[in-house]
Amino acid sequence: MLEADVEVDRRDFTVRAELRVQPGERLALFGPSGAGKTTLLEVIAGLVRPRRALITLGGRVLTSTAAPRVAVPPWRRRVGLLRQDPGLFPHLSVRANLGYGPAADRSGTELVQLAGVLGIEKQLAAMPARLSGGQAHRVALGRLLLAHCDALLLDEPYAGLDASLRRLLTSLVRELVTARQVPSVLVAHELAEAQAFADRLAVIDRGCLLQAGAPDEVVRRPATRRVAELVGYLGFVPAGDSDAAPLAGIHPERIAPGAEPRRGLVMAGTVEAVRPAGAGWEAELRVADAVVTCQLPDRPGPAGSDLVVTALDPPWFGPDGAALVRPPSGEQVGA
Amino acid sequence: MSGFASVAGAAIIWIALLGPVITLVTHLSGSAIASALTAPGALDPLIVSLESGAVTVAVLLLLGTPLARMLARGTLPFPRVWEAGVLCSLLLPPLVIGLVLVFMVGPFTPIGQLLGDVHLSATNTFLALVIAEVYESAPYYVLGAQAAFSSVDPRLEQQAGLLGDRPRRVFRRVTLPLAAPGLAMALAVAWARAMGAFGAVIIIAYHPYGIPLQIYTTLQETGLASALPFALVLLVVALPLPLAAYIWSARARGRRRG
Repeated sequence: MLEADVEVDRRDFTVRAELRVQPGERLALFGPSGAGKTTLLEVIAGLVRPRRALITLGGRVLTSTAAPRVAVPPWRRRVGLLRQDPGLFPHLSVRANLGYGPAADRSGTELVQLAGVLGIEKQLAAMPARLSGGQAHRVALGRLLLAHCDALLLDEPYAGLDASLRRLLTSLVRELVTARQVPSVLVAHELAEAQAFADRLAVIDRGCLLQAGAPDEVVRRPATRRVAELVGYLGFVPAGDSDAAPLAGIHPERIAPGAEPRRGLVMAGTVEAVRPAGAGWEAELRVADAVVTCQLPDRPGPAGSDLVVTALDPPWFGPDGAALVRPPSGEQVGA
Repeated sequence: MSGFASVAGAAIIWIALLGPVITLVTHLSGSAIASALTAPGALDPLIVSLESGAVTVAVLLLLGTPLARMLARGTLPFPRVWEAGVLCSLLLPPLVIGLVLVFMVGPFTPIGQLLGDVHLSATNTFLALVIAEVYESAPYYVLGAQAAFSSVDPRLEQQAGLLGDRPRRVFRRVTLPLAAPGLAMALAVAWARAMGAFGAVIIIAYHPYGIPLQIYTTLQETGLASALPFALVLLVVALPLPLAAYIWSARARGRRRG
């Protein structure tokens, strides 16, 4: 198990987080750029010195700032880090890159087998400069897997790759993490990427771990309004006129056309803008004083027309931004 | 039009730079070379230059490489001060370096007396020649090597460490191979500077003669025509290493491109 209780100073804030990742578990650290996600990984990898930390991996203490102080150097941590830049050694062939780690198999059987799984078996003799971006990422991933690390840290490794390759690599890593029973942590600033990978999602913002849980749970039941904003809730509609009225979080993808009071909050408003979005339509809807974004399967009426939609089982937040345990029932807002 | 002007400008400066070599070759006759080089002891300065150049390059490799690496990685405290120190010896005219060296390592200085205690002297000896050559060539090597190390992405070294390599092994397997073409070029330039060192040498190491001093004394004693063959010798012995380094660097970079 990977356990990390970390405090590390950055220029503008302090990153504080406590993580526990079981063998075979996939944790995604999700948050905006500059939230401190990468810093956290670099502390675990031993590349950044923390102010205070206790990091253990499989019972081994890697970092301890309390007595007796421990700071295992990166080359003895057995922690693999894959970044957005594949970081292939340009003077070594693909085969030599794959077999770089001292723990990589010397017979070459595993290397060839993994190269086949990754679809780079024909590039083994090539130099990294000859590879496409996707191939370079696959080689970097293969090199990491062949090094047989005790933990995998993935720092937005697939940014810039096309969607199909992302899916392929994500499912491959999922399978291998499960098969090898190593703890793994993915850093992502795109929710879909984090959800595709993880079986636990942790939301981090300005160095603070705001919420952790099952990916669907975090998205459906954000603990605070800030978490809701980070996971994609684009509108907050008050359930009354007073300043203390609870706010319903509206996620554009959790909208049903028409009034379905039994499924959530019915909102009636005026369409302000309509545009195509993916296979459907996106509408800006003014409800009372708030503007909410709705994704709808069919094209709504033009700007200025009335529209009634239902926000499916929305989370509710109190004036302090914390989620309400018991949401108000039977609410309906708008004209 | 601007493209043509650029090419014409480049051609002019290239021909101008190559001019002395062309002039040297065209003003030499085979018989002049033969008579100059077959005189008794004519090639002794060549041996001296080669030996002192080799020792100088070894000293630079041993002492200059770690300094260049630390400068490139910014691991030294007050890095600008260190860089300024290296630049100082580049900015000082070699003749001035020679003068200052007399006051620094001459026989009546503390360092000179320490050397005297172990029966060494830094004036008019092989050691003095090496010291002068080191001073004249070190900044070229250190600054070139610093650029070579700076060109290695530190994240690659980090990655090698995370894959299980200790720093020394990372240096051997990643840093050195990637910096090698630049290091070779820096060393080749330093070698050429060492072989041609004159300003500091004439002050502190008039003896033993290397080729540059031989050219100078021949010029003084017997005139321009008899000095020219030795200039050709200097060119012939100084050029192969830079040329080889250039070819090797180009090939190494080509291999990386696959």
